[in-house]
Amino acid sequence: MARNKFDIDEELDVKFDFKQVRRLLGYLKPYKGKVAFTVLLMIASSLLALLGPYLVKVAIDEKIPSGDTGGLVLLAAIFVVTLVFGTVCMKYRIRTMSQIGQSVIYSIREDIFTHIQRLPFAYYDSRPHGKILVRVVNYVNSLSDLLSNGIINLITDIFTLAAIICWLLILNVRLALVCFAGLPVLITITLLIKNAQRKAWQKVSRKLSNMNAYIHESICGIKVTQSFAREKENMDIFLGQNDEYRKAWIDAIKVQFLMWPMVDVISVASACAIFFAGTRWLGTAGITTGIIIAFTSYVWRFWEPISNLGNFYNSIINAVAYLERIFETIDEKPTVANLPGAVEMPQVKGAVEFKDVVFCYEKDEVVLDHVSFKVEPGETIALVGPTGAGKSTIVSLVSRFYDVQEGSVLIDGKDVRSVTLESLRKQMGVMLQDTFIFSGTVMDNIKYSRLDATDEEAIAAAKAVCAHDFIMTLPDGYKTEVNERGSRLSVGQRQLISFARALLADPRILILDEATSSIDTKTELALQAGLQRLLKGRTSFIIAHRLSTIKNADRIMYIDNGRIIEQGSHEELMERKGAYYKLYTAQYQLLEAV
Amino acid sequence: MREFKWVWGLMRKYRAIFFTALGLVFVVNLLNLINPIVQGKIVDEVIEGGMLEKLLPFVLLMIGNTVVRAALRYTYLYMFENVSQNVVYNARRDVFRKVQELDFDFFDRTRTGDIMARITGDLDAVRHFTAYVLYSIFMHTVTLILALTVMFIKSATFTLVLLAITPITGILAVRLSGTVRPAFSAIREQFARLNSVVQENISGNRVVKAFAQEEYEIYKFSRENSGFRDSNIRASRIWEKYLPVMDAMAGLLSVQIILVGGIMVINRNITLGDLVTFNSFLWALNNPMRMIGWLINDTQRFATSAEKVMMLLNREPRIKSREGAIVKKPEGRVEFRNVSFKYGKEPVLEDISFSANPGQTVAIVGPTGSGKSTLVSLISRFYDCTGGSVLVDGIDVRDYDVRTLRDNIAVAMQDVFLFSETIEGNIAYGAPDVSVEKVKWAAQLACAHDFIMEFPEGFDTIIGERGVGLSGGQKQRIALARAIVKEAPIVILDDTTSSVDIETEHQIQQNLRDYCKNRTTFIIAHRISSVKHADLILVLEGGRIVERGTHDELLAMKGRYYDIFVNQYGDFDKVVNE
Repeated sequence: MARNKFDIDEELDVKFDFKQVRRLLGYLKPYKGKVAFTVLLMIASSLLALLGPYLVKVAIDEKIPSGDTGGLVLLAAIFVVTLVFGTVCMKYRIRTMSQIGQSVIYSIREDIFTHIQRLPFAYYDSRPHGKILVRVVNYVNSLSDLLSNGIINLITDIFTLAAIICWLLILNVRLALVCFAGLPVLITITLLIKNAQRKAWQKVSRKLSNMNAYIHESICGIKVTQSFAREKENMDIFLGQNDEYRKAWIDAIKVQFLMWPMVDVISVASACAIFFAGTRWLGTAGITTGIIIAFTSYVWRFWEPISNLGNFYNSIINAVAYLERIFETIDEKPTVANLPGAVEMPQVKGAVEFKDVVFCYEKDEVVLDHVSFKVEPGETIALVGPTGAGKSTIVSLVSRFYDVQEGSVLIDGKDVRSVTLESLRKQMGVMLQDTFIFSGTVMDNIKYSRLDATDEEAIAAAKAVCAHDFIMTLPDGYKTEVNERGSRLSVGQRQLISFARALLADPRILILDEATSSIDTKTELALQAGLQRLLKGRTSFIIAHRLSTIKNADRIMYIDNGRIIEQGSHEELMERKGAYYKLYTAQYQLLEAV
Repeated sequence: MREFKWVWGLMRKYRAIFFTALGLVFVVNLLNLINPIVQGKIVDEVIEGGMLEKLLPFVLLMIGNTVVRAALRYTYLYMFENVSQNVVYNARRDVFRKVQELDFDFFDRTRTGDIMARITGDLDAVRHFTAYVLYSIFMHTVTLILALTVMFIKSATFTLVLLAITPITGILAVRLSGTVRPAFSAIREQFARLNSVVQENISGNRVVKAFAQEEYEIYKFSRENSGFRDSNIRASRIWEKYLPVMDAMAGLLSVQIILVGGIMVINRNITLGDLVTFNSFLWALNNPMRMIGWLINDTQRFATSAEKVMMLLNREPRIKSREGAIVKKPEGRVEFRNVSFKYGKEPVLEDISFSANPGQTVAIVGPTGSGKSTLVSLISRFYDCTGGSVLVDGIDVRDYDVRTLRDNIAVAMQDVFLFSETIEGNIAYGAPDVSVEKVKWAAQLACAHDFIMEFPEGFDTIIGERGVGLSGGQKQRIALARAIVKEAPIVILDDTTSSVDIETEHQIQQNLRDYCKNRTTFIIAHRISSVKHADLILVLEGGRIVERGTHDELLAMKGRYYDIFVNQYGDFDKVVNE
């Protein structure tokens, strides 16, 4: 099985692609007006900021020597105006960029979350849940810096750079070219380390994912860990994960930090080159002492935006390591999805037919082997047979949790693949082997299947499945808070709540997959009495090991090795003295034997 | 303040590196002064003075200086990252250890996603603080002090005049610091909620799909997602109020240079040269003033996150080994003496007394929610009883070292949790050093061997989280094997075979007969077939033992046990006599 676990890296073999960045920029599209305006403001305010030193220069060179107090006041006033303008710009920038950045993060997260809702069981089954969680929450968060400041800085820096390049070229072409000479060197080195850098950050993201998976599972399985007193071993495993993440981070940072010294050395070197070239060419090609001095001070202004761009580039490389994972998830094709032309499932009557169904979870591992049967509306079908025979698989195909490899599953004569998933599943009440309780009140959990149900309806459902009495003994009755791990509810109680939940949906087809395995016999009997009434008019599939649960079914199917071995009513099957008879009598003989 | 103490505690071990790196920051700051001086000299002496022969040495000095400072800066950045990674590594270790120590009670009340948020998001703020914020504060402070010293020497009065506006910045800084903290706190809370809603959605994906409630899930998620966005925006609303003003305050220094400085020069209080020097040092003054707002922001962000992490770290598990706790391996005698247990105010168990010796099997039956699982969880001390005492080998379980106690109890819980691990890894979970043969032996006893071998990869098959991909009965049998392989003197099987078919269950019972010979075994079950052979059957109802005895005794009593029997085997005679 190609299942992933916490200590297996998820490989992703994609080349570095600016498409990822472009796709990210796509999220900014709705705000492009605002972004453009902010950039304009930033440019304006940085131009105004240039005015500051000039004002000081005028004061020192002219106004002070001449003792012009009035002039000083004027200059100070102008300066204050630029400050006020700068303050307003900055305020606007902080406000818009945080709004835009947060909104983009919101949208990306919304997209990835909405998408994973459409992914089938198989997706969730094949990897630790912590690895999905880390993508939706942490990876998306790591884009926040890039979005709130990076983009604006990028555009502003590019603009500044373009302006300074023009200015240098106007001043003197030759010296300008000398000044630019360092650039190709920088770009070459940057490209050379790009691969190492990218790999390093990808590793960081993978290790983070692994560690998260381990933490998540450790918390979910904490009761097992404590009951087996395995804390020490788990600590060691965790420290291993923790250490790998730390190492990956340090490795990535080692490459990342190369950028700054590189820019530093190259920029100083190019300033020196200007001194050399300037002194050599002095007097030719319009190079004067003043020009050289001007150039050496502009050199820094040229390299500053480049240094910023280098940092931006760093954060892009870093972000892409997360982005590609996010987009990988968003691009994951749901294998069970609405087909083109799928229609709404009309009100289900309840006829179910399996036509020569072949199904396997993994290739070559046949779970259902040419299964065919027909169920009339309102019939109660019980599935029995050894564990792993394929009973749960059969019922999960009715809700189209998986798609069959061969043959077809029909409801009211319609192939389940020809209708929309939502309209199909909304008409089914499924109670799975694994009960899952959401955090919230007991009432919330019962109403989960039909959100618009009234409290009375929910209570009626709880009464019908004999859950009402125990719920009333809880501290706050139906308003008692429970959580994912079910808090203090016993498995049997959780099953009863899930049962009520399934029933509240008022489904046409009811599927009970070992719905009552942990419920005591007495409650179960009471439940059955109520159930007879509830099942009326509904098609139902019941999987159970306790034979008292299934005896009353209209038809019992005995499943073994992915095939239906026998089917018929309890009496018919007892008469036949086949597999079911053996199973049924065995429970008595075995009781004797113990 | 406690937050800083905590982080310092973590940094202590790395203080040599940390302070060396701070030293390097200082050196680099000094080196930064060299290039402008050299450059000035080049302009003065080479370009204007025409001493071309001096160019090469000057240039070499500049480049040499740059290479050294770049190397040093790279080194200190690396050192800070190193310290910060180690700090976070250790913090994460502490949190994980704490999580493992905390008792069931905590987990019954805390959402997984909330705990996850602490370990991931909150620790990231700690990382940022130790890697970046701390040294930035240091760097700016050093720059500020150096600049102020030079300025004071030049002109104390003018320096004081310049500093006249700093109290305003100070007030703003204090205000920002106070108001931004709750905003960050709100972000962290909201982050935890977001994390929880996503986490539950993923873990509960089967139920979501079964009821086609994707839309509702998206609605729930969107609420938290937009809450997270809004809390972030709200925080930015606070700093947008302060930061631009603080920035302008820094700019105001230039205005003072022009106006106050200018007038002072005109009035001959200071020289023009002094003013020029002041002006050239101004960056060293206004840069830190500009940064102070941002650094306060980051510091508060750190402090809020650290507070949340510490809240988790400071939580004391109620269940822990007392001092001098017993570490001797028990033989397995279990006794309940008038045990009662309340969960909050809700009584769960009342006046439970019985005892069991090695070799004996105690079965517990009773309605759903009657306290069966709670009863056995008191043996492992997952909860402490609120009245009476639970004794193992005649010693109160509270006197045992918790690890020793649990090491000697093998539990198969009714709520089977398997890890996304290989089957072998899952079975060997409680005894990681056990041999493959032992694992296979346990699987055979649990009747799991055959179906495991049917998987293409056998025992190396990786199963999904929570055992996805296996049927209920298969999961239970792996959990049973996991308990068996531990070979503990006390064995607790909590509804372990409810999803296993009767024949297999019978087979398992046969297999375990030998295994349980010298162990004290507890079985919780609903099927009569599972409990019939027990030496003592306890019938629990409403947290009390209402009947006790062997199968035959209880049948003869014609009470509740008899009712269960009739419900399950009502047509017993008919079938057997056929």
